[in-house]
Amino acid sequence: MSRIGVFVCHCGENISRTVDVERVAKAAGEIPGVAFSCDYKYMCSDPGQSLLKKAVAEHKLDGVLVAACSPRMHEKTFRKATESAGLNPYLCEMANIREHCSWVHEDREKATEKATDIVKLMVERVRKGKSLAPITVPVTKRALVIGGGIAGIQAALDIADAGHRVVLVERDPSIGGHMAQLSETFPTLDCSQCIMTPKMVDVANHPNITLYTYAEIEKVDGYIGNFQVTVKHKARSVDQSKCTGCGVCMTKCPKKKIPNEFDQGHGMRPAIYVPFPQAVPNTPVIDRENCTMFQSGKCGVCAKVCGPGAVDYEQQDSFTVEDVGAIVVATGFKLYTIDRKPDDSPIQGYGEFGYGTIPDVIDGLTFERLASASGPTGGKILRPSDGKEPKQVVFIQCVGSRAREKGISYCSKVCCMYTAKHTMLYHHKVHDGQAYVFFMDARTPGKGYDEFWRRAVEEEEAVYIRGMVSRMYQKGDKIVVMGSDIQVGVQVEIEADLVVLATAVQAQDGADLLAQKLGISYDKYNFYSEAHAKLKPVECATAGIYLAGACQGPKDIPDTVSQASAAAAKVMTLFAKDQLERDPVVAKVNEKYCVGCFACKKVCAYGAIEEKEIRDRQGNLVKKVAYVNPGVCGGCGTCQATCPSKSIELDGYTDEQIMAMIESL
Amino acid sequence: MTPGKKKLSYSYYPGCSLHASGREYDISTRALFKALNVGLKEVPDWFCCGATPAHNVDELLSLSLCAKNLSLADQVEGDLAVACAACFSRLKTTQHHLKEDATKRKQVEYAIDGPASLNKPVKHILEILAREYGLAKLEESVKKPLMGLKVAAYYGCLLTRPPEVPELDDCEDPSIMEDILRALGAEPVKWSHRMECCGANFTLSRPGVVLKLSNAILESARLAGADCIMVACPLCHGNLDIRQKEIKEAFGAPDSTLFGSIFGSDLPIANTSEDRRDLPIFYITQLAALAMGVASQSLGFESVIIDPKPLLRDKQLL
Repeated sequence: MSRIGVFVCHCGENISRTVDVERVAKAAGEIPGVAFSCDYKYMCSDPGQSLLKKAVAEHKLDGVLVAACSPRMHEKTFRKATESAGLNPYLCEMANIREHCSWVHEDREKATEKATDIVKLMVERVRKGKSLAPITVPVTKRALVIGGGIAGIQAALDIADAGHRVVLVERDPSIGGHMAQLSETFPTLDCSQCIMTPKMVDVANHPNITLYTYAEIEKVDGYIGNFQVTVKHKARSVDQSKCTGCGVCMTKCPKKKIPNEFDQGHGMRPAIYVPFPQAVPNTPVIDRENCTMFQSGKCGVCAKVCGPGAVDYEQQDSFTVEDVGAIVVATGFKLYTIDRKPDDSPIQGYGEFGYGTIPDVIDGLTFERLASASGPTGGKILRPSDGKEPKQVVFIQCVGSRAREKGISYCSKVCCMYTAKHTMLYHHKVHDGQAYVFFMDARTPGKGYDEFWRRAVEEEEAVYIRGMVSRMYQKGDKIVVMGSDIQVGVQVEIEADLVVLATAVQAQDGADLLAQKLGISYDKYNFYSEAHAKLKPVECATAGIYLAGACQGPKDIPDTVSQASAAAAKVMTLFAKDQLERDPVVAKVNEKYCVGCFACKKVCAYGAIEEKEIRDRQGNLVKKVAYVNPGVCGGCGTCQATCPSKSIELDGYTDEQIMAMIESL
Repeated sequence: MTPGKKKLSYSYYPGCSLHASGREYDISTRALFKALNVGLKEVPDWFCCGATPAHNVDELLSLSLCAKNLSLADQVEGDLAVACAACFSRLKTTQHHLKEDATKRKQVEYAIDGPASLNKPVKHILEILAREYGLAKLEESVKKPLMGLKVAAYYGCLLTRPPEVPELDDCEDPSIMEDILRALGAEPVKWSHRMECCGANFTLSRPGVVLKLSNAILESARLAGADCIMVACPLCHGNLDIRQKEIKEAFGAPDSTLFGSIFGSDLPIANTSEDRRDLPIFYITQLAALAMGVASQSLGFESVIIDPKPLLRDKQLL
């Protein structure tokens, strides 16, 4: 006869509001084999845990059931408490009467009944449970950082400075990301390149960092501490080991009129190029789609002029497999750029703004390039259509953001601040110009942020108009902006020379595909999901994978850098151990009954099942059976459901436990 | 919609305007459907959808009027074809509201003493032409392409708005009218005021507002080089056609301010161009029927104010 203790938690009012916890505790006490039951306001608190420990000792309990929240929330907490009370931690289970019951029901009577049932069946699971020993796996102390923007750079430098090896993979030909495109940064107006490029150089020179640019993640295998990541190195057509970065190929390339992505399409670059002069590495790539040699086979100028003979037209994509113990995902964002609604997107366009059809309607990043000393206009604010200096500039905030009817309900967080910055930059460069800003709210929480915004309004003469723009159209060389000023209650029309849209921050293209490779979750906007919004903001629900920067949600530079350093700290915490303890919830094979059909092997999503030979003493092969590699097993139980001879079972979820649970109802 | 090779056939809710001031819209709709060999059967005993007055005065009344009309439409086979933008908007809005609000639905069903027909598909003539008959087939059926006719496609307020209700096209940047015009061989112009309000019902209570707003629309179409404006709403037609001469008198003098502030401002709103040419206002069905080779005598051209015949003759379309 077992002696199980049942502890029912109120979770403040989260559970007790809908579930009569006292009645549940009383009913639990009447289940045969339950030696003790009680209820308590906060089981996870220190007194709650002491209560549990005391009860184990006093009532000589041999199993513990905590009826509270989801095991994803506090299973570890209670197993630890159980262990310190002297029991095997795996003899402690949780009955989820919060997410699965109180939060989703309203009828108190029925919810109490359901909670009682959940407790009843979980008691059976505890009764049939076994003591388990945790599995230890070695940790590969080498980290992978995906994305070479400010987030990835910061995380890589922090981990590398702690003495661990880092592989940094960047999709573009250079690291730097969006921050390298910015002119000045809020709230101090220091030059983005000046604070960014030294960090890029640090990455390139760091002995602990292996930098792969123009590379992408192909495949991810393994688990925390032991990932095998296949990296695809896209063919650069330039041998990085030979190239000296002299740049002769770029000056001699006959094809020079290709819109430069780094300048948002407004500057021009050759077919063999580095995105910007401060690029790291300073090795060019050949854009094969625009290269005459690749398109018609007639050119080869760059190869002829290259002294070290680094240009290699035959280069193919190559692959390497990197063994790493932890992964930091820092893939950043893109700006919303659609004018009309694409067929396959839930997001509506802004055709009524002439976005994409009127050349002088640009987005915020384009304005950054216009204002940047390294940009296509050398830092002069000149509009794209005719290169004239605009005297009336209209900035529109919240284009795409906070617009439920357009498909995006979130706030992009950075636009209020960067628009204020834009008006200042414009005022500094065009003294007789006038900046207008259409805004819904000015959201400026952050150190020195509101002061910065006030400065734009009070000292730098930006005219802020509270209201939205309904329509814009070209009239001669002006853009007529029709909007409303809701504070005065009038319709406003401004004839602008240039319109800058603060368009929404969106997840990168392909963010969902990368998430599927990594096995991490993402929200409906393709931003990656953290494990807990408040308490685990940099961890993914998948162990060993961490998040940094705007790939998790819109973020400015200070927040991004903080999160990147936090992710690096998490990686270092992981690397502080030589061995990693894993939950022993893995499948085990009963070799006596296994007939070696390997149906389990076919269904295993983790590739954890191997074939094992059973030999007699003379060394003759008796039979082949399945073997589960406990380090790889994900504990999903698919093999258990598949096995025709019932000879494979998941610890903690044995057939015996599950049948007993069903029978208890 | 009737699938497969079966003949397309619709039930038809003309609405009050199409039996009165917008008679030519009704005539041309019937002529066009006949020319395209698409069935059109008028809903028996239909009555007013309530239009703007009803929903301004009593929402429940407005919803009930439409719900009753929808249940009448249920007696006729085929999706419900609607030509008037306001009727279309009211019927779609009613379905939208009642689907989302069970309490209102109960009240309305009590008022009309029967079930509200929320699943009868309500289709505007534009979507029937562009999507169900299909642009490709429409282009094939053209007998007299509207070559050289520069048309300003005017959507007005109700065809695409509010978001999610009419389900006709992009709410602020639609293209369905232009698509149809291209299929008919005409040349849609790019212009700025295709989604602006003409002043609508203020034509009776505050005609000054209508004159201002409609003038801005007419001027914008002239500036874009349009020969004429195409509408799909009898009220827009009324404001732009019937009031056009009045607008011309009110805003005769050229002025530098083209489109000033609309409310609370005494800025004169007038044209910049010397060009004050008349702009004929066509219904979509008139232009489409003309392209299908329907005789112009049966399209109601005689009952509009700005005579379109000189333009059509000029373009060799008559």
